[in-house]
Amino acid sequence: MTRLVGAELLKLRTTQTFWGMAAAAIGLVLLIVVLSVALDADPTEENVRTIMATAGFSGVLTLVLGGVVGAGDYRHGTIAWTLLITPNRLRATAGQFLAGGVAGLAIGVAAYAVAAVIALPWLAAKDASFPPAGDLLEVFLGSVLYAGLAAMLGAALGALLRNQVAAIVVVLVQIFVVDPSLAGLVPDIAPFTLTGLGAAMSGVGSDNDLLPAGAAALVWAGYAVLVAVLAALHTARRDI
Amino acid sequence: MVTSVLEVRDLTKRFGTNVAVDGLTFTARPGKVLGFLGPNGAGKTTTLRMLLGLTLPTSGTATVNGRPYRELHDPVEQVGAVLEGPQFHPGRTGRNHLRVLAAAAGLPRSRVDEVLRLVELNGAGHKRVKGYSLGMRQRLSLASALLGDPRALVLDEPANGLDPQGIRWLRDFLRAQGADGRAVLVSSHVLAEISQTVDEVLVISRGRLVAQGSLDELTRGVEAPVWVRSPDAERLRTALSASEGVTAEPVQTGEGWLAVRGASLEEVGTTAAESGAVVYELYRPAQSLEAVFLELTGATEAGR
Repeated sequence: MTRLVGAELLKLRTTQTFWGMAAAAIGLVLLIVVLSVALDADPTEENVRTIMATAGFSGVLTLVLGGVVGAGDYRHGTIAWTLLITPNRLRATAGQFLAGGVAGLAIGVAAYAVAAVIALPWLAAKDASFPPAGDLLEVFLGSVLYAGLAAMLGAALGALLRNQVAAIVVVLVQIFVVDPSLAGLVPDIAPFTLTGLGAAMSGVGSDNDLLPAGAAALVWAGYAVLVAVLAALHTARRDI
Repeated sequence: MVTSVLEVRDLTKRFGTNVAVDGLTFTARPGKVLGFLGPNGAGKTTTLRMLLGLTLPTSGTATVNGRPYRELHDPVEQVGAVLEGPQFHPGRTGRNHLRVLAAAAGLPRSRVDEVLRLVELNGAGHKRVKGYSLGMRQRLSLASALLGDPRALVLDEPANGLDPQGIRWLRDFLRAQGADGRAVLVSSHVLAEISQTVDEVLVISRGRLVAQGSLDELTRGVEAPVWVRSPDAERLRTALSASEGVTAEPVQTGEGWLAVRGASLEEVGTTAAESGAVVYELYRPAQSLEAVFLELTGATEAGR
């Protein structure tokens, strides 16, 4: 499995699509952080924590990236090579799924690092009051985990739908239409929507209605595995 | 030496009401190049994809060394495949494409450069695939198929897009693979492309096997007409047509020429003598492979 994940990561690294989307994810986080710091006249402990938690926004972007790369194998026809070398559909899907997770984690780490390098010295210059290092570490781990899990779910969804545009549309509709609608209609469900789970993991805001970050990660991982298994079963039953 | 046998038994594939492959049975053995011929849409690609586990059969079996492809543990060492259609990310270099496959198969990176050299693509390995010609893409496909040094090759229209030099290169290449003990199954819709390479051919049309054997056997099965030139063509024609199963048609191209089917040279000569028709020329041209192919596949097409 290690060699399959390695091959899938090499597949990502050897296309411009991946680097472009990773750069976009990191750039967007950077933009949000810069604006937040610039517009914050009085950076309190809570504000600093929230600013650093915006790095977790990379999770939404790795979700989209996962969808694009997960369906990319079908778009370019490279799926045939993938399955010729690894005919077991479950193994092949698992390789892509885990590689998506590793790529997502890496993007999460990079996004947080960029945010920290820019924001922390700047905030210090603005005489900000910093939360304890433990809090910032928690925000770091949460946002990185979110980015990794989001990319895994995206990759599974891409493999299931086999179409990049469809994968992006489903992700966007889910986050911007379905999640808010569900949260409005049935507030009890809100913590279990992708938006609610993402917020819980990255530590954006301090909504007490959200799940604890660890529990949110487990629920999200459950969604991701479920979609991945569906994708593997689907691939096993369909012609390529 | 480890060998691979490709076997297809009663293989059928239906897409809705359309029967793409209809009860096909054949075996590709080590050391032989088996040509898989038929017009476009005859079911060749579907058959090969079923053999490679990419398309699921409706019924029947397709196996490599007795097992379905999907159950093979190290398929790249048993079968190498060249498929039709898009199969590369345009932005990835040829060499990186091969590196990904080698990594997934657990093959050393040195193998990538070896196969690039083997298909004479080593100069273009660092170029992105979108800059490749059709022929270069075919070579990259072949390089991919050869990565695991497989004991069998399944090649779907590998000559597509190759220039005459490329086709000659492919012929030599395929012959060498067969001579090396590999089982080679190669499809084509143009008989001439592979006629000098194959040991045996299968001809399919509309998903069914219409002929199987060596090229000699096939050309013998479908005989060319006897050509005869006579100043008494009309009298000769009447005399020949009197025998059951014999047809004699005037040939547009020449004065006094008849094309006679259903009779041997001797029978035509005897009939001419008996009818008193003078004969200037009498011969049977060598049947062209292309004509045989068209006759074999066209007959079933017209019959439906």
